[in-house]
Amino acid sequence: MTRLVVHAIASAPVERAPAGLRGAALRWVPAGGLGAWVTPGDELAATLARDDVFDHHRIVDTLFREGAHLPVRFPTVAEDDAGVAALVAPREAELRGTLARVAGRSELALTLLWAGSQAVPGRGHAVRPAPGGPGRTFLESKRVALAGSEDRRRTAEALAKLLEAELPVERADVRHAICPSAEVALSTAILAPAGQAERLKETVTLVASRLEGVRAVVSGPWPPYTFAEAA
Amino acid sequence: MSDLRTLGPDDELRVSLVELAHRLLDRGVVLTGHATISVAGVDLIYLGLSVVLSGVEALVEAKERSA
Repeated sequence: MTRLVVHAIASAPVERAPAGLRGAALRWVPAGGLGAWVTPGDELAATLARDDVFDHHRIVDTLFREGAHLPVRFPTVAEDDAGVAALVAPREAELRGTLARVAGRSELALTLLWAGSQAVPGRGHAVRPAPGGPGRTFLESKRVALAGSEDRRRTAEALAKLLEAELPVERADVRHAICPSAEVALSTAILAPAGQAERLKETVTLVASRLEGVRAVVSGPWPPYTFAEAA
Repeated sequence: MSDLRTLGPDDELRVSLVELAHRLLDRGVVLTGHATISVAGVDLIYLGLSVVLSGVEALVEAKERSA
């Protein structure tokens, strides 16, 4: 019995599989009517490290270019082949539906970073020493910071709506994370139509460049990580 | 991460790597039951549904050093 690091799920194995993690042979494990690509290795499974994360991406991306695959969240480890089957087979209908939805489609990432005055938390709300002492000053500064964050959230939500209106994709193919960190207004995943990822990337870059108060970074195309699970 | 208010080409690459790392660690099919929760050298701390960037940044910095 050897532990298995699981990478991706598909309906059939590809003929030319890439190498697995750390150069090990990648293996196909049947699971009901589906199957999963895994790297076997007890020591590997017990010592997963930073380099393995991006190596997992190399494996998933190579498989994805050969045909429809659902990326599995990293790290996922099964005890053996039967363990993989027990995890995958009960969800076969759902996973088949998702495979059909993402077949041939890739994911773009749009990151909008606060720029200019928007990058300063609580902009427009000066903090003055309150007459009530340090306690009141502290509470006032917290109130101002909260107001600033609410302002920024509203701005980010408006940017998300603007993007949805401007981009030539279905609403169901766009997922946003609003203000996921102090620097980021919006982190958006876009599921590109089959064969149109590069053209859509140009469109996204153009649309995002017109947005005020933010700077845009467009990444991908990648396998459809964000769309491998139901919303 | 450096100050992202002034983006250079290196920062754009770093933003892309952070987005990718976030997807690898926080997206994809979740096969419950046997998922491990740690990767050596990567601090996987979650705030809601979003991986705290410090953990992802450490991953990205390690990749940049090895590149």
